[in-house]
Amino acid sequence: MKVESTEVDGKKVFSVRAFNEGIGAWLGKLPTVWVEGEVTELRRQERWASVFLTLKDPESGACVAVQMPRRQFDALELALEDGERVHVYGRPELYAQRGSFSLRALTIERFGLGAHLAALERLKRELAAEGLFLAERKRPLPRIPQLIGLITGNDAAAKRDVLTAITTRFPPAHVIVAETYVQGPRAAPAIVAAITDLCERGVDVLVIARGGGSFEDLLPFSDERLVRAVAACPVPVVSAVGHEQDTPLCDLAADVRASTPSVAGRLVVPDLAELRAWLDRAHTTLGRSARRLCERHADRLTGSRTRLRTAPLLAIERRRARVGTAEARLKALSPRATLERGYAIVRDANGFVRDPPPAGAALSVEVAGGTFGARAE
Amino acid sequence: MTAEPTFEQAQAELEQIVDRLERGDVGLDELTKLWERGEQLVKRCASQLAETQGKIEELAKRLDVSDS
Repeated sequence: MKVESTEVDGKKVFSVRAFNEGIGAWLGKLPTVWVEGEVTELRRQERWASVFLTLKDPESGACVAVQMPRRQFDALELALEDGERVHVYGRPELYAQRGSFSLRALTIERFGLGAHLAALERLKRELAAEGLFLAERKRPLPRIPQLIGLITGNDAAAKRDVLTAITTRFPPAHVIVAETYVQGPRAAPAIVAAITDLCERGVDVLVIARGGGSFEDLLPFSDERLVRAVAACPVPVVSAVGHEQDTPLCDLAADVRASTPSVAGRLVVPDLAELRAWLDRAHTTLGRSARRLCERHADRLTGSRTRLRTAPLLAIERRRARVGTAEARLKALSPRATLERGYAIVRDANGFVRDPPPAGAALSVEVAGGTFGARAE
Repeated sequence: MTAEPTFEQAQAELEQIVDRLERGDVGLDELTKLWERGEQLVKRCASQLAETQGKIEELAKRLDVSDS
């Protein structure tokens, strides 16, 4: 393009338009490049032909205006938000009418989704190797918590869901709510601080709740500082972050993982009605079983007493019987009993006669009825 | 000096005595002694039981009153 200038007093003078066009033409020769930065001031409206944003270098603060045709931007379906890191592929462009320089984007890519995923996977393996996610580390939740700590976003639906679930099941529950950032770079340190604070205030169980969100939204819940704080928390932690399919690392480090904030609320408190019913049953059973136990002991004692009373008499009776038997046997052994059966004892001058005596010997014969003399033949 | 036997100890000793007396392998002198000891244990167990039962009933009554 030829840029026209005029000669004025020996000087070469350009009109503004010509100057801008000249610069624009020169810029247009520069190559298309990738530029990395953070999205700020994103402006998109249906009636605008282009989408505008400012790309900022988070470290140095340097800025460049970016614009992109709205149709192309929408076709990318990025749902970009301020604060996100992106790679913009484009070339410099000058808007001749205003002399404003911008980067005309051909495409925009979220920076490092893959890099984030890889880093996350690495961290997950590292923490798993340290044993942070082990099942035996998981602690049971208190049966009846005295003070529940709830960490959630400011005015979040998650907060309402947890509180509703808790108070429905267990109206007398005490809950301290710590509202923190739940996305963005400030979220992880804020949540770590809230964990420490709530533990110092004496909670005996902690709920971390956040509704669903994009992968980036949930990234703070996989932040190493936060995951370690959850694992090191002195009281059990229930984590209800994102939806069922999201598994931020803090879910793995928590003692109990709840699929939704409502489920988390139901998990940390007992059902008061059930508890009362159980207590009533226990009360009745307690009285009944205590009385029954006393009765059983009393029965057993009565049995022992009866046996004790009869045992000595039986022992004496048994002895008496034995004496009787001995007496009977003694009697049976006496020779008199033999005489009764018709036998006789024959004696001579020397005593019992066992061999036939010589004829004429004087004998004395004892029979049952008495004694009489006799002579041998 | 040994401590007062617990209910369970007294009960166990009593039942042992009854078993021996019923088996009958006891000398006549010992018989009297054992029996006396048995009666003593019965008395002790019975009073301990009565005491416990009384305590339970009393507590139950007191709790029922404070409940209502």
